[in-house]
Amino acid sequence: MLHIYCPYCEEMREEEEFSYSGEAHIARPLDPESLTDAEWGDYVFFRTNPRGLHHEMWNHAVGCRRYFNVTRNTHTYEIYETYKMGEQPTVTGGKS
Amino acid sequence: MTSLKTPLHHITAPAHVTNANVIMREDPFRGHLNLRGNPQDEAFTRAVAKVLGVALPTQPNSSAEQGTTRIYWLCPNEWLLLVAADTQAQVEADLRDALAGQHVAVTDQSSGQTLVNLSGPQVDDLMMKSTVYDCHPSNLGIGKVVQTTFAKTGAIIHKCADGSFDLVIRRSFSDYFFLWLADASQEYGLRVT
Repeated sequence: MLHIYCPYCEEMREEEEFSYSGEAHIARPLDPESLTDAEWGDYVFFRTNPRGLHHEMWNHAVGCRRYFNVTRNTHTYEIYETYKMGEQPTVTGGKS
Repeated sequence: MTSLKTPLHHITAPAHVTNANVIMREDPFRGHLNLRGNPQDEAFTRAVAKVLGVALPTQPNSSAEQGTTRIYWLCPNEWLLLVAADTQAQVEADLRDALAGQHVAVTDQSSGQTLVNLSGPQVDDLMMKSTVYDCHPSNLGIGKVVQTTFAKTGAIIHKCADGSFDLVIRRSFSDYFFLWLADASQEYGLRVT
């Protein structure tokens, strides 16, 4: 079981309270009409799926019901940090 | 003529319990109002405090109480107001008046959930096996409110001053909740008052 710090409730909670919501920091194209099918398909469907450091969204589903970001190692499951929506990660790259 | 029934009106307490160490008491027909707004906006917090007679708690997992009104912090911009039975329509109207023109939401959830109090000498043992949250007094102090799971269904758990727990549970899960409670407290003895 993961023990996850919710940046809104400001305490550690059990994994059972959360749900995983995919890769974080994917910006919606400002002008979708001008995209090619390949670019739109890339935005909608394609994700990085790295082995190692990953920035991802989680939802505190039965708690405060907020989305937030987690920097997690997909190999060791270690969580380096959690941060609120709109913030940038402090842990980037270099670790695996 | 409508007849008002609580979500737990149909339950039958276990018979032949001589030594009850867990006691369940429903606090039925309370007014449950969900309030959303921006706590950084002073016009909002001031107007709400004026209507309710108590300031909104802005610390995570905290609560505030004033007479029969209780406020639970749910998330940074959301609160649950528990008000006396049959006053929710008036409180909602007062809030709408006081908050006119502001970007807020007031939602009456009274018929969707109910308030249950669990007490007794072995209530801590019951909580330990019912929820993933650590309900030890060192983690869940008096007045603290957490939204977590109780028997895998969502619940809002509030630690009361007398050491008992107040749970806000969904109407649609009340049957399941009671079946779990009756089963889980079999070894302690359950009394329903």
